[in-house]
Amino acid sequence: MRSLILAAAFGLAATAALSTATPAEATGKVKCQAGPQSGWKNVESLKAQLTKDGWKVTKAKVDGGCYEVYGVLPTGEKVEAYFHPVSFEKLYVAQRGKVLFRKSGY
Amino acid sequence: MRTIINSVKLFWLLLAMPGIAILQGWLTGRIETMDMLHPTGEMSARLMVAAMLIGPLAGLLGPKRWLLWLLARRRALGVGAFAYAIAHLVFYAIDMGSLEAILGELPIASIWTGWLALALMLPMALTSNQTAMKRLRTAWKRVQQLAYPAAILTLLHWLWIHDGATAAYIHFAPLVLVWLLLALRKLTKSQPFPQAGV
Repeated sequence: MRSLILAAAFGLAATAALSTATPAEATGKVKCQAGPQSGWKNVESLKAQLTKDGWKVTKAKVDGGCYEVYGVLPTGEKVEAYFHPVSFEKLYVAQRGKVLFRKSGY
Repeated sequence: MRTIINSVKLFWLLLAMPGIAILQGWLTGRIETMDMLHPTGEMSARLMVAAMLIGPLAGLLGPKRWLLWLLARRRALGVGAFAYAIAHLVFYAIDMGSLEAILGELPIASIWTGWLALALMLPMALTSNQTAMKRLRTAWKRVQQLAYPAAILTLLHWLWIHDGATAAYIHFAPLVLVWLLLALRKLTKSQPFPQAGV
């Protein structure tokens, strides 16, 4: 009986977690349909722009067709953020999985 | 040769190997501090699940030789899980850089679940020795049962941190499966088939 309760608890926990999770893939939390990479702006200029805005950029890479940036906001929060690689528009910002910003449609 | 392979000390060393490898990567600058968080956390969860699987598997399959071999190493798996969880915390603290920043993240669901899981693992790790086992007697088992809420919190921590839900489910699925099989067996044993005409 206890096994059944434990299995049910696990099931509930997993469902609770899933219901609060974003509907994105495991790796790419956001997907960008930005065309071929030859048309993208350079990631270094995104890093420079963010640094100018007061961010502390730790790492930047491509994920889900977007630029994914790890860094610290001017307000001190350590975040993971997604930007459109052509427009550099901010699409998603999360602090340890807690979504702080998500552009509608993304 | 057989004695060396069966040595529990060698098993401890085997469990430490992935940790040594990534630590070397970090010390040489090949792995960034933030990238130390995922492998240490994953290894902790992996060992936790492995340790928790042995008991139910023995219940399902009976006293198989390989299970008895693993049973003799269950403590190493459990303590290993705790050691990797501590390493996970240490790299998290280094990555965060200040106590203020760490406390600032504490209210986030993905973070406090991790802290709570670790807090539950602490008494388990501290009592994972023969002396504690003898002193605590029946209470020892109750302490070790903290593994169940700790496992649930670890799964939630992994899912909410948003760092690969599929991997989290794959790691914890075997536990759910053995528990379901055990529960199913108990149910089918305790409920006799209805008599004809009843």
